[in-house]
Amino acid sequence: MKKSVYSVLTAALVVGASGVAQAAEGGMPQLNFHDFAPQLVWLLIAFVVLYLIMSQLAVPAIADTLEKRQAKIQGDLDAAEKASEDTRAAVEAYQKRLSDAREEARRLTRERSEADASAAAAKLAEVGAKVTAQVEAAEKRIAGQRTQVMEGIEDMAHDVAADIYAKLAGNAADKGALGAKVSAAAKGSV
Amino acid sequence: MHSPMEQFEIKRLLNFHIGSLDASFTNSALWMMIAVALATVVFVFGMSRKAMVPGRLQATAELGYEFIAGMVRDNVGNAGKKYFPFIFTLFIFILFCNLLGLVPYAFTPTSHIVVTFAMAATVFIGVTIIGFVRHGAHFLSFFVPKGVPFVLLLLLVPIEVISYFVRPFSLSIRLFANMLAGHTMLKVFGGFVVMLGLYAGWAPLAFIVAFTGLELLIAFLQAYVFAILTCLYLNDAIHLSH
Repeated sequence: MKKSVYSVLTAALVVGASGVAQAAEGGMPQLNFHDFAPQLVWLLIAFVVLYLIMSQLAVPAIADTLEKRQAKIQGDLDAAEKASEDTRAAVEAYQKRLSDAREEARRLTRERSEADASAAAAKLAEVGAKVTAQVEAAEKRIAGQRTQVMEGIEDMAHDVAADIYAKLAGNAADKGALGAKVSAAAKGSV
Repeated sequence: MHSPMEQFEIKRLLNFHIGSLDASFTNSALWMMIAVALATVVFVFGMSRKAMVPGRLQATAELGYEFIAGMVRDNVGNAGKKYFPFIFTLFIFILFCNLLGLVPYAFTPTSHIVVTFAMAATVFIGVTIIGFVRHGAHFLSFFVPKGVPFVLLLLLVPIEVISYFVRPFSLSIRLFANMLAGHTMLKVFGGFVVMLGLYAGWAPLAFIVAFTGLELLIAFLQAYVFAILTCLYLNDAIHLSH
């Protein structure tokens, strides 16, 4: 396969070279002096026509279109940028309002709970004072009853002591002296 | 078998003479005008709608424009804007002549040295005039490399001058020789297909198919090279850069 490729290439070179040699013998058309003038004349015409078409029509049209497109793209980008900026601002405002509202709610709740707490404390204090007063009254009453009871007990002790003395001694005791002795004994034991 | 050079023969289709000047309309002129017409279709009618979202033809036109605009901007800078229409025309003209030349039975105007040399000489003379108009006699300093000992200048200045004057020749011969060689090659292998016949003719045919692809690339590449060298020469003349 490779060999055939090489042989074909070699043959190509040989024939190509011979062809070029042949052409050179016959003269290259490129070197035919009589054909220069018409080519140059029409090159000038073609080139100038193309130059005028390109410089007057094509280039301004393309440049204009590219410029407009660039401007449009830039404008759109700016608008998008602005819209995104607006959105960001709106989101920020919303967030701020949200946090304000949250703060406000928190403040209200706190105030409310503080008010509640102070009201409860006041009520508690009031109730406490009432209870304390009742407790004090009760204590006073208890203390009064107690002294009464104690006095009753003393009287009873006097009577019991007088009775015991009467039974033991056979005669009535001196109530004053015995009472003082019993009272002193009761005081000493208490 | 025809000579592979026959395809390059100039045929007079209409005879014109302006005084002693032979201005006959030849096959070369015909294909130049077809190139002009086709370029007009693409770049003028393609742009006629000036659509914000371009269609295929308009996208092609814009692509060509931006390609050359970018080339001029990158290689010459802002000072090159004035010359953009000329370089654009040059590129489009050569590109369309090269591409149309690949159509079977077509003629390739750029395969003639006189045509390519006329364009190269126009560029050379134009660029030299621009250089002198912009810098006056100072333009000659272009031939004197900076920071080189005097003794070396005796050697370098002639080299610079020669390389400058060789420009139109290298520019024109590059394009002409590429077109000539490509088309000759295609013709020679076309001859092989006929010679080798049904049994072995497919091999050169396959080669021709592949080579036509390469020729398409060369058609574009040579137009590109011509345009970019014009840009570089213009840049040298405007900025006296080395």
